[in-house]
Amino acid sequence: MSAPSARPARFITALLAAGTIAVTAGCSGGLAGGSPDASGSAEGPIALGMLAPFSGSESAFGAYMENGAQLAIQEINEAGGVLGQQLELVVEDDACDATASVAAANKLVTEGIVASVGGYCSGATLPTLPIFDQAGIPMVIPAANSNDLPDAGLPGVFLINGTGTQQAQSALQYAQEQGAASVAVIDDATSYSADLAGAFVEQATEAGVEVAFEATVTPGENDYASVATQLAQEAPDVVYWTGYYQEGALINRQSVDAGFTGTFMVADGSVDASFAEITGEGYTENVVGTFTQTPDMLTGAETWIADYEELAGEAPGPYSTQAYDAVRIVAQAIEDAGSTEFDAVVAALEGLDGFETFAGPLTFTDAHTRDSGGFVIVSIDPESGEFVLEDDLLG
Amino acid sequence: MMQLIWNGLIVGSFYSLVALGYSMVYGIIKLLNFAHGDIYMLGSFVGFVVLSSFGGIPASASIPALLAILLLAMVVTGLIGVGIERVAYRPLRRSPRLAVLITAIGVSFTLEYGIRQIFGPNPRAFPVRLSSESFDALGVRVSVSQLVLVIVAAVLMFVLAHIVERTREGRAMRAIALDPQAAHLMGVNVNRVIATVFFIGSALAGAAGVMAGAYYGSIDFLMGFVIGLKAFTAAVIGGIGNLYGAMLGGLLLGLLESFGSAWLGGEWRDVFSFLVLILILTFKPTGLLGNRVVERM
Amino acid sequence: MASQLDQALKHAPLRAPAPLFDRGKPDSGPRSQRGFMRILGILAVVLLAALPFIDASAYTISIATSALIYIMLCMGLNVVVGYAGLLDLGYIAFFAVGAYISGILTTVLDWPMWAAVPATILACILAGIIIGGPTLRLRSDYLAIVTLGFGEIIRITANNLDVTGGPSGIHGIPTWSFGDWSFRDGLELFGIRFSGTILFYYFVALIVVTLGIIGLSRLARGRMGRAWKAVRDDEDAAEAMGINTYATKISAYIIGAVWAGLAGQLMATHLTAISPNSFQFLYSALILMAVVLGGMGSTPGVIIGALFVSLAPELLREFSEWRFLIFGVLLVVVMLFRPSGLWPATAVLPWLRARKPRAWPATAPIESLRDDARNEPAPREGRPEAASTGDPADDEEVRR
Repeated sequence: MSAPSARPARFITALLAAGTIAVTAGCSGGLAGGSPDASGSAEGPIALGMLAPFSGSESAFGAYMENGAQLAIQEINEAGGVLGQQLELVVEDDACDATASVAAANKLVTEGIVASVGGYCSGATLPTLPIFDQAGIPMVIPAANSNDLPDAGLPGVFLINGTGTQQAQSALQYAQEQGAASVAVIDDATSYSADLAGAFVEQATEAGVEVAFEATVTPGENDYASVATQLAQEAPDVVYWTGYYQEGALINRQSVDAGFTGTFMVADGSVDASFAEITGEGYTENVVGTFTQTPDMLTGAETWIADYEELAGEAPGPYSTQAYDAVRIVAQAIEDAGSTEFDAVVAALEGLDGFETFAGPLTFTDAHTRDSGGFVIVSIDPESGEFVLEDDLLG
Repeated sequence: MMQLIWNGLIVGSFYSLVALGYSMVYGIIKLLNFAHGDIYMLGSFVGFVVLSSFGGIPASASIPALLAILLLAMVVTGLIGVGIERVAYRPLRRSPRLAVLITAIGVSFTLEYGIRQIFGPNPRAFPVRLSSESFDALGVRVSVSQLVLVIVAAVLMFVLAHIVERTREGRAMRAIALDPQAAHLMGVNVNRVIATVFFIGSALAGAAGVMAGAYYGSIDFLMGFVIGLKAFTAAVIGGIGNLYGAMLGGLLLGLLESFGSAWLGGEWRDVFSFLVLILILTFKPTGLLGNRVVERM
Repeated sequence: MASQLDQALKHAPLRAPAPLFDRGKPDSGPRSQRGFMRILGILAVVLLAALPFIDASAYTISIATSALIYIMLCMGLNVVVGYAGLLDLGYIAFFAVGAYISGILTTVLDWPMWAAVPATILACILAGIIIGGPTLRLRSDYLAIVTLGFGEIIRITANNLDVTGGPSGIHGIPTWSFGDWSFRDGLELFGIRFSGTILFYYFVALIVVTLGIIGLSRLARGRMGRAWKAVRDDEDAAEAMGINTYATKISAYIIGAVWAGLAGQLMATHLTAISPNSFQFLYSALILMAVVLGGMGSTPGVIIGALFVSLAPELLREFSEWRFLIFGVLLVVVMLFRPSGLWPATAVLPWLRARKPRAWPATAPIESLRDDARNEPAPREGRPEAASTGDPADDEEVRR
């Protein structure tokens, strides 16, 4: 079919092709060449990887987590590092999106990290589990807490944020302490929120508390009149909102306007100073939240906050402390294990007993979650609009 | 039940205002302005910027302040709408439909993510909130702010209807909608009238944006996306190109959504709206008040 | 008498008259457009095959696999938007259907991945019929919004139903297995160890190159493709020429749907976990941008666009905040100044040999005319030769 003039062209192409393969076969980093040293050099710094959202809908949290981790690394390095080596943080953006997080996880693996201390969106963290597992990298996840993560059954995955089950437990405990006879729950159809709502309903039903209704709203919209009306009409004593502050603040306001008089309890995704701002003055008395203790709630944490502000140039935010703790936990485990080798580190992590974190002493359960959730109840201070400690649920 | 109806009417008023702009633009140059919902979002941000610069507004002055801001935001968004038409749509007036639609998508993205770059991804609290005193009437909890909303929306729609029906400008608009070339031959300055249409449509959307900010209290860069789709649905329900249809369609959609989310659950609200859209387009594509349009060769 | 005529007409052989002169064979070889593109294609395939030998790091292979799947997705949208001219803003819905069907079948029912392929194809055909059926009768602007609506419906439904895993989606999707052996086991060849991910990369490359690129390009050059282009350019004229426009549009839509579904299945394997967040309108818009920026209806253009949109976020991680703003502005700029895209469908590379038309051989009648012409008076200036009607009144008209 080809004209005579095409044959020499084809021959040249074939020659080029064969040549390319022959030449590249010797490339290091390629298949046939020497394999790159993926476990990091013995003398250089120990690299810890962090996947967090820096773009997309959750981009505000990436900075909080990165700075918290950096603070821990700075402190540890000043104290002499781990096993005589300095630590360093390698950060990649997962944009709270599965495709981006897979690429980012692979990038971290290629850069030779020893452990992962990131993970905010459960939906974006789940796909990275097999990648880190195959590369022999243990994960200490500071924020993501969907039950699917420990359920995956991978040996190197550890969660340090209280699970949905534990948070729901704290919420229910508070509701019962307040003498609530009926409760309701509203979620926003996202992974973490639906998970938490389900856990709350399950535990409430088991405890014999009446669940007036379960509702779902679509996030990103402004009009919640139907669920507000429902709240006003069914009038439960406590309603638990498991989504984020943007919608929660609006739902609270619209519900109170519609005549709801019960307690509006929110989950940790809504605990943010902006909640008070959006919900408006005079709407905050009935609001409480379940949250892990932040430094301002602990005595003696002012120095930590000051150090953080010096490093980051802004106040700490949600999950700064968890990220800080994650790094310290990994450092301790490496120190205990005496090496960065996967099995040794995992064994060391499992062996941690009562390690001090902001949320309380930490021991991992068999499922690699923390044994006590460390949740407390917070409420809004009418003057500053910030959430402050209301009840530590221990008494 | 009455409460559901009232809730639906309130939401429907927003949809109507935005749908009017959609309908007007489509009627005159047969373009679905994908970026129209983002004009609504721009209106609320304009209001946000202006109000924030005042520091604090006492609650007693909130309604007059809001009305003043409303007018200002309407002018600004109207001008922005005219600007967009001039830059992005006019050069493509003779191009195939696909090109203009794609450009509209590009404009929409530019507006959304431009605002995101400036104001950040998180929602912002609108500085002026309408008071929430309410009273009960006919078993329905009606708040003062809702009344203000409905009144303002009704006034705007009335003014628009007056412009289109009674003034010369409005006649020119209807003429171009019927046949642009004949209108041109009759001495109508087509470009100018199209710019006016964009101005009015965008101003209405901007007004809706400011009112949404004041009523709901929170604005974010993506709020225009969903309302754009809902407004399109409303315009189609009523008959696209028909102003009364847009008003009717908006209210109807609000009611449908209100009942739909009460029956099916809040998470199915958008699905419900889109299904309504598809049903209408399948069985009555000209909408409730629309005319049969004959395709000219 | 009439029947004889009928018979004669019925059996008359249809024969095109012989051309006046021989135009010569069409250009081939490396210096023609077709030959050059073919060589480019072969080189690209070679590069694709050689990539793991240059750099086998997990990161490179991962983004290369993602980029390939993205190319397949964009080729599918190219059929719908580029060839048939249907603005589909909900294309990601079919991607979602493919991903979810294969995800559910392999995790819940434990089917092997290859067995899910016919299920994916069937589901996408059904989805294409359900979505395209009512909407393809509508004007293009309506079509855009309605397809967007459908995309949202599919996403929200996947988010709300339990069988699709709700908002958490599906995870733990296994890779392709054939009998006892699966990609995960890897392969040992000529002393080189190919790991599971690299094998999967080759597999995806094979499918994308053969099915996605070669297959679709052939389709576009064939009868189907010509019908699509006719409908795109002028639907009424196409209808007048006897093309069933509705069937043509639906077939383009369904083919696009099936391609997206297969791409979705590959992506589900690649990511091992899928969630409704990956199927927002934003991603439909990105695919559209890739097709438009690269060049609607042109295969090399769409490949370039797809590579740009999928790799730019990786290579420019620092600018991730600006990404969508830049894309939006680019889209407007491209549509205003170069709507046919970076590599238009009808582009000819400038340095390739332009075809010189062969000289017309002289034929006898023309020779004799030339002699006659020599004897005629010179034609008047400024007047077209053929306009002379011999009437002096008409000449007055023309001169005025």
